Amino acid sequence: MRRLPVYFLLDTSGSMYGEPIQALNNALSGMINTLRTDPQALDSLWISVITFDREVKEIVPLTELVSFQLPEIVCPQSGPTHTGAALEVLYQKVITDVRKGTSDQKGDWKPLFFLFTDGKPSDIQLYRQMISQIKSLNFGAVVGCAAGHLADDSLLKELTDSVVHLDTCDSTTLKTFFKWVSDTIEQGNKSQGTGESVELPAPPSEIHLVI
Amino acid sequence: MSEEIIYIKNLFANRGIILNNKLEHLFDAFVKDEFNIKAVQQILENQKMLTEKWKLKNRISDILQQPVSIPNGTVNKPYEAKLDFIKLGWNEIVFFELFGLDDLGLIYEPLEEVISGIPLKNGDLKFVLKFRVEGELEDSELHEKTISFVVNPDPKSLWKDIKSDESDPYWKEDNITSSGKLGEKNIVVASKRGRSHANVGSFRDDHFTFKHLDNTGWSIIALADGAGSSKISRDGSKTACDGIINYFSENLSTEIFKEFDILLKDHCVGSGENTLKKLNHFVYNNLGKAALDIHKSLEQRANKLEVNLKDLHTTLIFVLLKKYEFGYAILSFGVGDCPIGLINKDLSSVNLMNWLDVGEFGGGTRFITMPEIFQSEKFATRFGFKIVEDFSYLMLMTDGIYDPKFVVEANLDKIEKWLEFLEDLNGKNEDNIKVDFIKDNTEIETQLSKWMDFWSPGNHDDRTLAVIF
Repeated sequence: MRRLPVYFLLDTSGSMYGEPIQALNNALSGMINTLRTDPQALDSLWISVITFDREVKEIVPLTELVSFQLPEIVCPQSGPTHTGAALEVLYQKVITDVRKGTSDQKGDWKPLFFLFTDGKPSDIQLYRQMISQIKSLNFGAVVGCAAGHLADDSLLKELTDSVVHLDTCDSTTLKTFFKWVSDTIEQGNKSQGTGESVELPAPPSEIHLVI
Repeated sequence: MSEEIIYIKNLFANRGIILNNKLEHLFDAFVKDEFNIKAVQQILENQKMLTEKWKLKNRISDILQQPVSIPNGTVNKPYEAKLDFIKLGWNEIVFFELFGLDDLGLIYEPLEEVISGIPLKNGDLKFVLKFRVEGELEDSELHEKTISFVVNPDPKSLWKDIKSDESDPYWKEDNITSSGKLGEKNIVVASKRGRSHANVGSFRDDHFTFKHLDNTGWSIIALADGAGSSKISRDGSKTACDGIINYFSENLSTEIFKEFDILLKDHCVGSGENTLKKLNHFVYNNLGKAALDIHKSLEQRANKLEVNLKDLHTTLIFVLLKKYEFGYAILSFGVGDCPIGLINKDLSSVNLMNWLDVGEFGGGTRFITMPEIFQSEKFATRFGFKIVEDFSYLMLMTDGIYDPKFVVEANLDKIEKWLEFLEDLNGKNEDNIKVDFIKDNTEIETQLSKWMDFWSPGNHDDRTLAVIF
């Protein structure tokens, strides 16, 4: 069966400690519940969750939605944001996880990638190095989400054209964001021309598209 | 030294009582006193009892708080999950019962330690484990632990069938069938909106047309699949199919195609030179012109509608078919991921008339709307040409049929896969729905349309299948 692989890279650095990480957990769990009511997603969606702070952890390897169980996401009270290292892990995972079409293997849908951060990369050099490699993976969509006033839109812009900004990291805003993410995921399994990418649905007013 | 004496010595030491040599005698007598020994034994027993009791409480509390994750289930799908007490570290549980499983459609099989059954309802569901651990009295009250797990809804039950908006300027029927005669052959076609469209009330993007021209003996069959990601690709697929019929209705009766008849005759009787090369050249030239003509009409259409050409993205396959005294000439062109299969008379071999544009990722294909396909060196390989005495079936299908039934391109070359497909059409399927490919079958359109409702997880695209027999 054709799978739609979706990767989440979530910032769990110190600044997320407390209410924001709680809100993130709630919003993610809400998104998973929403997706479970979508027959298309139940048939094809595979999700992977990678968190990054000082360490990068693949907390859920690519798993089909039907069997997916979301663990509680925790974060340290302080520490750096190793976004670059996270991209490095993501790159390897996508290379090994995603099936490409051949004459005797059905290719996956183009994978989607959502990066959620409330800060900016502490390993900026590695981050910039990884950008071209990530672009070479030919994602159907790469969406960068900068949450809160400390998040750096312009650095995300270097990674992808699709950057959204959330004013705050509160529960309501994150819920709205992840609802929009699930709408975007639903766009991911449609036929398109080779080389074209997924068109993002219009975001709700809480979410600002960074131009 | 007995345990009791050690206890007393330690007790005195802790209380600062010093036992010097002078008191040795006295101490000996003290610890020999049965009353004292019994008192110590009592203390030791109580200590042991308290320790055990604390350990037990602690252990029970650990079990109650331990997160237990058991696999997710899906409604109407057989479920099996092992409740592995050893893995969970629950060796001390000497007695337990599970409550609340019946309501969920599940049972527990103690021998295999397995929860199984077919889940009846979806959601975050819970059942209760009541247990007693080693060291508790047999009549003591059981502890209760709630275990939750997720049951997904049955995807089949979630699909909605929302009618498409008939007032839309680019509206087309959600389901359509057609049948007829192509000279001595018959054709039946069904095209069905995919569940993914029905679920949101959007439109069918597939399209088909066919026509038999009595004056020349030629039949034209075209199928097109509009891109799911393009806004009005349903109009693109229609424009492409209609365009092919128009183009050949005008051109097949001209001198050009009379030249083809002569060339073909020369080839079949063995007169003339390089006839096959000339024939192939003819196919390339004339079907190529048609393809380019369609591309141009799509460009014009996009201009007229003031949309981008990519909003009309569509694949296109078409076949020209004509019977001669020596057999059938079959000419084809294809761009996209829709196969054309020609099965010989005795069902022993299949000819795939076109190769498929399948990218490394799902859904990635090429469209007749893409100018680059005409410049590509592979353009010349998009044409097919066959002369056969007769054939059993000629089939054209969109990826909505090809994906679930053939899965990968390599299978399209295998006659056994086509035979399986024929058996499937002949009723060997989950719903025992049969299509009778016999002449004058008045039910054939309904049969094919019903057959096309087959269930295939993950394959919910528009489905179009044309069978010439």
